[in-house]
Amino acid sequence: MQWTLALEIDQDPITACRLMNIFRRKGVKLSALAMAAGASGFSLTAVVETPAGDVEHLFHFLRRTEGVHHATCYQHEPSTKACYIFVDAGADHSRAARILGLSPQSKLIFASGDKYLIELPAEEGVHDAGFAGPGELPYAPVMTTRTAAAGAVASG
Amino acid sequence: MATGSEILLETLRHQKVEVVFGLPGGAVLPLYDALYSAGIRHLLVRHEQAAAFAADGYARAAGKPGVCLATSGPGATNLVTGLTSAMMDSIPVVALTGQVPAPLIGKDAFQEADTIGSTLPCTKQSFTVRSAADIPAVMDRAFRTAVSGRPGPVLVDLPKSVLMEPAQTSYPPGAGYERPVRAREWQAEDIRRAARMILESRRAVIYVGGGVIASDAASEVAALAEITQIPVTMTLMGLSAFPSRDPLSLGMLGMHGSYATNMAVTRADLLIAIGARFDDRVTGKISGFSSGSKKIQLDVDPSEVNKNVRVDLALVGDACETLQALTEELERQGSAAVQPSLHSGPNGGAGRPAVTPARRQWLAQIERWREEHPLGYDRYTRAIKPQFVIETLSRHADEDAIVAVDVGQHQMWAAQFFEFAMPRTWLSSSGLGAMGYGFPAAMGAQLAFPRRQVMAIVGDGGFQMTLNDLATVAQYRVPVKIVIINNHALGMVRQWQEIFFEKRYCDIDLNFAPDFAKLAESYGIRAARVEHRTDVVDAVRDLLSDREACLVDFHVDPAENVYPIVPPGAALADMIVEPPHVMAEEEAFDDLWAV
Repeated sequence: MQWTLALEIDQDPITACRLMNIFRRKGVKLSALAMAAGASGFSLTAVVETPAGDVEHLFHFLRRTEGVHHATCYQHEPSTKACYIFVDAGADHSRAARILGLSPQSKLIFASGDKYLIELPAEEGVHDAGFAGPGELPYAPVMTTRTAAAGAVASG
Repeated sequence: MATGSEILLETLRHQKVEVVFGLPGGAVLPLYDALYSAGIRHLLVRHEQAAAFAADGYARAAGKPGVCLATSGPGATNLVTGLTSAMMDSIPVVALTGQVPAPLIGKDAFQEADTIGSTLPCTKQSFTVRSAADIPAVMDRAFRTAVSGRPGPVLVDLPKSVLMEPAQTSYPPGAGYERPVRAREWQAEDIRRAARMILESRRAVIYVGGGVIASDAASEVAALAEITQIPVTMTLMGLSAFPSRDPLSLGMLGMHGSYATNMAVTRADLLIAIGARFDDRVTGKISGFSSGSKKIQLDVDPSEVNKNVRVDLALVGDACETLQALTEELERQGSAAVQPSLHSGPNGGAGRPAVTPARRQWLAQIERWREEHPLGYDRYTRAIKPQFVIETLSRHADEDAIVAVDVGQHQMWAAQFFEFAMPRTWLSSSGLGAMGYGFPAAMGAQLAFPRRQVMAIVGDGGFQMTLNDLATVAQYRVPVKIVIINNHALGMVRQWQEIFFEKRYCDIDLNFAPDFAKLAESYGIRAARVEHRTDVVDAVRDLLSDREACLVDFHVDPAENVYPIVPPGAALADMIVEPPHVMAEEEAFDDLWAV
């Protein structure tokens, strides 16, 4: 099952290395990966593939790993709640540009080969058939530490 | 201004560290120079692996972080097995490692190793200290991290240049380990639902793991069992969390659990897992594990929920706090099983709850299973049976004696036959199963409790991995009692080769070994060798009454196997149970039991 993971972590390569090692040991296949350094830490966004039964375990494992401040799990959700669009463009690189054009406030998280991850602004409402093309997968948050009280997990 | 070394030692005092287990080397010379006059107790071990095991044993016994110290390079890498064992068993250990001077890091300097990289998988968190002024804050965070949430080992890497650097700094108030963070994620409705499930159950079992020990929740488990009259089984990590002699105690479950316990778990209609992770040694074939039961899982680590076995209700939080809430809710909801007894009945009477008929039937069924296949062994043979040695030790040990075991058959016999009265009296490398653990862990526990009886029950195989620290025990007069269950083999491997590999014994023969008693005596440690069963009781009495370190090498029946055993890939109910043999001609065996 393919899903998207967003983490905010310490600005410390030890934590980043620990996470990579966790992905390796837990057999997580990384379809796409982006890391960025910010003022308060690193952010990591990854499109991953795991058995469906491992998603919950992996999310909880990562969110309670030392050095991880926040974790959000996004799953394929053909609804109005999509926060990310993963585009497997193949030979047609114009598809990512089309989506970016449909949603001007959106942000290109990464472009790697023929894969693109686009973040949609939170205030955007309906994401309609413009995103329904083949190889264009909207992801919505299903589990996150972001909006809940400290120590708890909110379900999307 | 103080140097980084002096700051580190002062920080250890702030963290209320009483003893450090370590071995010096080039990268930590500045630290040892400061240690010379620092007044912090340091135990010089003979291998850094023993330092890590000793810190682990200290932590399990004392309930606070154990500290080990190693130099850079090979000193640090020698800690890996001990840290991995602590990681697997969730034990709070703080490992301090020297590192080459900062300008040389990454340039393959002498005795440089990528300690952080090497220990990423076996630590909960790691720190490289960049300046001496950071030491107090880093160490406070290290100690706090080691005990917070799910406990675990933390490593702090200290470049030599930092240890020598002068700095001014301040120290956080108090000790980090005294402020653990354990988030609660359950809601009141979850507790109410759990209570309803418990009250509706007819054949419940409480399944307790190491998390109960880590949370110091033994009293809360006892209260839950008492109020509900639900029997309690323990994992290898959970042993001593519930008194062995309590009528509700089922002992250990799993691969070498008793018949009655495994059957109870298999036939239960409710399993209440507390601080336990449904490890493969416990479950056997997952599809056959307690398949007819509903399951409630209490754990501080949310990633353990539904990891191996799907549960019906999860309560994520500290075991102590959660059990208190659950017990209060059970009292509030009430039933015939929990109301203070105005009812008559077999267990009724002032101060003890009455037992519902369903619970009574369930306990009676478990008793029938016990009678059908009790844990036992051939008591009428001439050979020394290892179980007899363990039972004799248990019978003569102090009630608060601490038992550290190594890994193998003796470990399972000790788990089956030694009786525990209070928590933190059983130390076992359970998840990793690291041979060599028992003796140094006992040493660490003895340093935590100098006046208590501490014994290491080890096999001849595991003991040979860390016996070099007999020197440490002799040097510091650490009064551990070392019991060798000597079957002249890698016994558990031999057993598996016998049962599952058609007796194709390969590389399990340890007959080429020293005379352990003479070896101990060469270190100045009193020792004895026992080869006749008629000498066992006296040898045990003599051993346990000795106020100094003492070793007894018991030569036991080399053919004895651990039963029951659940074959790999089998369900618990498919365990192989071997009834004890009874010889036609009985010897005057009863004399052996005279006390």
